[in-house]
Amino acid sequence: MFVWSKNDLNPEQAAAIAEEHSVFLVACPGSGKTRTLTYKIADQLSKLESDKEWVIAITYTHRAADEIHERVAGLGVDTSRLWIGTIHSFCLDWILKPYAIYHDALKSGFKVINSHDSERMLTELCRPFRYPNISYWDCGHYYTSAGRVLASRQKNKLPSVTQALDKYHASLVKNRQVDFELILRYAHELVASNPSISMLLGSIFSYILVDEFQDTKEIQYAIIAAILRAGKDKVRTFIVGDPNQAIYDSLGGYAITANEIRKLAGIELKELELSENYRSSSRIVSYFDNYKVFSSEIVAVGKNRDYPSLISFNSTIERDDLIEELVRLIKYNVETIGVLPQEVCIVAPWWMHLASMTRKLVAALPTYSFDGPGLVPFGRDLDNFWYKLSRIVLTEASPQMYMRRLRWAGEILSALQDAGIDTSNLSKKSLLRECNSVSILEEDGLKFLARFFDALFTRLGIDFRAVPVLVEHHAAFFESSKERIDKLAKEGAEFIGDVGSFRKVFENRFGITVSTIHGVKGAEYDSVIAYALLEGMVPHFADPNGEDSAKKLLYVVSSRARKNLHLISERGRIDGKGDEYQPTDVLRDYNFTYDTIP
Amino acid sequence: MYISKLQLVNYRNFDRANILFNKGINTIIGENGSGKTNLFRAVRLLLDDNMMRSAYKLDEKDFHRGLGDWRGHWIIISLEFDEVSQDEAIQALFLHGTGNIEGVAIGKATYNLIFRPNMSVRTKLSQLKEGDQAGLETIRKTLTTNDYETIFTGKSTADFTDPAVYKTLVGDFENATFSEELVHPAIGGKVPGMLSIAKEISFTFVQALRDVVADFQNNRTNPLLTLLKSKSGEINPELFKPITGLVKTLNDTIEGLPDVVGIRVDIRDTINDAAGETYSPSSLSIRSDLSDEADQLFQSLKLFVGESEKGYEGGIHELSLGGANLIYLTLKLLEFKYQKTKQSFANFLLIEEPEAHIHTHIQKTLFDKLNYDDTQVIYSTHSTHISEVSNVENINILGRSGVKCEAYQPAAGLVPDEIGNIQRYLDAVRSNLLFAKSVVLVEGDAEEILIPILVKKVLGVSLDELGISLINIRSTGFENVSVLFHDLRIRKRCSIITDLDATFFDTTPDDGDDDATKRAKEKALNAQKVGLKRKGKLTEFSNGNGWVNVSFAPHTFEVDFIDAGNSGKVVSVLNRVYKDGPTIEESKVELESKDIAVYGQRILTIANHVGKGWFAILLGKAIDHHTIIPDYILDAILFAHGPVSDAIFFNVLSYRLRCIEESGQAAAAEAAEFRERLEAFRDGDLDFDAIRSAMLETFTADEINAILATF
Repeated sequence: MFVWSKNDLNPEQAAAIAEEHSVFLVACPGSGKTRTLTYKIADQLSKLESDKEWVIAITYTHRAADEIHERVAGLGVDTSRLWIGTIHSFCLDWILKPYAIYHDALKSGFKVINSHDSERMLTELCRPFRYPNISYWDCGHYYTSAGRVLASRQKNKLPSVTQALDKYHASLVKNRQVDFELILRYAHELVASNPSISMLLGSIFSYILVDEFQDTKEIQYAIIAAILRAGKDKVRTFIVGDPNQAIYDSLGGYAITANEIRKLAGIELKELELSENYRSSSRIVSYFDNYKVFSSEIVAVGKNRDYPSLISFNSTIERDDLIEELVRLIKYNVETIGVLPQEVCIVAPWWMHLASMTRKLVAALPTYSFDGPGLVPFGRDLDNFWYKLSRIVLTEASPQMYMRRLRWAGEILSALQDAGIDTSNLSKKSLLRECNSVSILEEDGLKFLARFFDALFTRLGIDFRAVPVLVEHHAAFFESSKERIDKLAKEGAEFIGDVGSFRKVFENRFGITVSTIHGVKGAEYDSVIAYALLEGMVPHFADPNGEDSAKKLLYVVSSRARKNLHLISERGRIDGKGDEYQPTDVLRDYNFTYDTIP
Repeated sequence: MYISKLQLVNYRNFDRANILFNKGINTIIGENGSGKTNLFRAVRLLLDDNMMRSAYKLDEKDFHRGLGDWRGHWIIISLEFDEVSQDEAIQALFLHGTGNIEGVAIGKATYNLIFRPNMSVRTKLSQLKEGDQAGLETIRKTLTTNDYETIFTGKSTADFTDPAVYKTLVGDFENATFSEELVHPAIGGKVPGMLSIAKEISFTFVQALRDVVADFQNNRTNPLLTLLKSKSGEINPELFKPITGLVKTLNDTIEGLPDVVGIRVDIRDTINDAAGETYSPSSLSIRSDLSDEADQLFQSLKLFVGESEKGYEGGIHELSLGGANLIYLTLKLLEFKYQKTKQSFANFLLIEEPEAHIHTHIQKTLFDKLNYDDTQVIYSTHSTHISEVSNVENINILGRSGVKCEAYQPAAGLVPDEIGNIQRYLDAVRSNLLFAKSVVLVEGDAEEILIPILVKKVLGVSLDELGISLINIRSTGFENVSVLFHDLRIRKRCSIITDLDATFFDTTPDDGDDDATKRAKEKALNAQKVGLKRKGKLTEFSNGNGWVNVSFAPHTFEVDFIDAGNSGKVVSVLNRVYKDGPTIEESKVELESKDIAVYGQRILTIANHVGKGWFAILLGKAIDHHTIIPDYILDAILFAHGPVSDAIFFNVLSYRLRCIEESGQAAAAEAAEFRERLEAFRDGDLDFDAIRSAMLETFTADEINAILATF
């Protein structure tokens, strides 16, 4: 039995873990949500009565899955019956792969394509459309249990987008390809038309834990609810999230209510809250409390509670002076009040504003390190085999990295098995050993990786070029990485292609973080600096629920900060119609006594 | 849940075999080399958790030899499970990997091992143009088993043993036609890597009892240690602590013995004296090295059994072989019981040839009692005693035909009444027919005694050598047993020899007939009627069944024996039938009369006089190579044997030649010349027609010519 010491958890957290029934847990920012989830998983794993039962945890990102997995293992619990990963991995591992033969689009084999492939295909398909022109970015879509929903809010584009997407899907079906949205759709179709699947999964799973429910899609709820319903009293659930932080509604995410789940899954559900914020000062908490759209209590209880926070808002600075203002704020935080650089984060709503800003900051503050989007030389595809392998290749064998690399090696082995390669004479350890004994002298990052992969597979005695799926992934990985490096180099990132920059990607993070608002979900920093807080960006100009969305975005930004928060709505940015962007309405209208930063 | 079917395709000596199982106890019977061990190995590859992982990587030698060129072919081992339920949580993980969804529920489960060329080879094959033999050859030429992969699938729907299905899935090598599809849903989905099907069920394999004593001495195979481990899971360290303490004390005590200490001191002194202080080891001690590790200590546990002498228990090696085997089997059964209590939804016990060293009586009791709940037992045997106990519905027969082995289900498609009839007939002796390569069924003792002698004396080969078992049904209830031989059931040839009982004398009633004659006529007529009726029934019964043939003796064995031209043989034993000279003389005249009404009456009188069985034994002594086998018997033998090979003809003719030489009927030169031609025939330089003509020309009068003429 897993036991924790009294001081590990507060009464609210302990109650959530001790609760026998299924739980719907609303957790305010900084309330130890991940900790609670981790302990709940550990507790349930230790209570498994048979080795035929599994605990399932669904997280929003691979990174969160890795982190929670490591933390559970760190609690000394046997994790062999824990499955943890994203909803997409869940659907693949537990529904699509085992039951593919029961779906017409999957039964003759299928390949999962990455977002890079989708983007390329859609870009091509959008090209012929005129008046209006459409692009990949207009083709955002998702599925609900009722069908396809287009994300674009520009009505005039919808007919063209529909046509382009229809062609795109016809091509996917023809080539037996599945993209991330289709993974969910097919999983839902399988579950809906074969009750046996939910019956079996409902018997195998003892617990389904769902993190970040506020960003979960309707179709995902439908899949999970079907399993919960079929598993009736055998499987319980633990659903955690914060409706105030629901910032993915344009992608179909929405904050479900406890009642909806009760109805959908036909289960009893206990509503609990985590209301104690351990992260921020009282001043920060009282600031972001203003942006709440769902009422819940938040109390600052952590060691920063009485910290004399500085909260500033600058709506007069010119766009051209923005970089100097950011430098000033960074220097103030780091050099004047002694915040560690890795505890500073710079956020903006749109990715396109960030890459160039990162590099300007690198130039303006040469003694600082930065960790931001302009600095990652790879494609975005986390499911690419070679991306996965490069994680091992580009990290050093060290005691701190050992567990993580061992897990990565496990993923490589199962990917090889899936590709039909005999791995019976390989183990996770021996794979790591082989990786560690390859040494390549090469400065160019991509050449380094290409030679390393060749050398490694020669050592393993595997001809990966004879395996179609590995060849495809290989091409995709190198193509998209090359595109990215070229683009970044053109924007001025000189050494981005060096193996040194490659290695930094997987180093334990240090330096100042630069991120989109969506990218800092779940993270926390001493000081948060946000810019481009402009109506039309925060919220997005086409957002029908603009006010609520803006509040949630500001809630997320503000609640990341432990100590200081600096908000900027710079002047001089011009929108598509030639008008100047104005500060975000809800921010402008908030009557708060801001501090000035000396 | 139980295993309902095993399919083997291209695996070892099976090209395609369907083996069906029922709940409870199942028997697999077959002669040696019929594939019993390979069949068990196949099941173990799928279900035995103790199987080494490396065993899954199959080998060239695992391909069925009849394939010729194995390259490109697949090996498929497929298990089907019945009575599965998606409502039982305990089965959920198993069914997640294997359950076939049929509508809203799961009907069956399937679990398959497929050894096939890897994706890149299959891609190349799928891209071949139809009929591109040269292209196919190029791909096959370089294939090795390194280009093969082993996959485990579940939820399959394909009937792998159907040649058409195999061609769709794998390809048609004769016509170089391969499906463009690389993934066939019919073979099912891969079983998720995180799932181990073998761990989901409980499975115990009891090997043919060979070297039990060695097994007991080997720590890995010692069933006693396995039992100790599975009883307590892992050994509880808390309970073991005091023992560790005792061992330590024991070691200390031994080391402290004055003699031990003394020796240590003496050794030191001696070294010092001999090598001097500088070169002597700096320290030296004598330690008692009894291990305090649980694993090591448990190896000191041994089983002692008292067998015969009262009050004396000996080690396993002192037991009789049978006794040791019984103990071994018992421990394995206990191991199975322990396993079973851990997981109860599916328990399988495979026992290989339990009869190997266990006494017949124990065998019977053992298998009468071997009946655990929720447990499917499958054992293989070549003991007729065990097959007698087992239910014919739960029997699979393995038979070899050429290089391949086939599996037969003797009760397939039969109604309970028919099965009941078979069951009654299969006593220990008749059980033989389950093992036979082919059978000849006869109705009485005379045939049972004389036919083997006839064949041996006339052809020079025994029925055994011809692969024929002769079974005496002791009645005319042939259908009850021969129903076993059918396309659906045992696909081996079965000849039936029965009497037509036609009358052979004038049976027209005559006013002058005395009572005895009247009765005889009536009886004969009645027998004839019954015979005709039987003929109708049997002909209808065997009609359309290529495995069964009925040969009718026109009258009855003894009569037709003379009719074939063997009156001389009967005459030669007359003096052992009758003592009285005139009777002997009269009988001789009648037997040689050529009038069936006369010799027929006489021989039946003789047979009845001494008893048919005894008379057959008498007659058997008179049979030599000049005897003529009645046609209907020859037909029955030839049907059962099937096509006669040149090797058999060679043996027969060599035998005839030897007989001719021994009896001095032919000139030495003639015989030598014929022998040369015979050898040429054996070596394939002469064909059958040529040797047949040679025989006819050289030894015109030899009785074999008539037989040869029928081919």
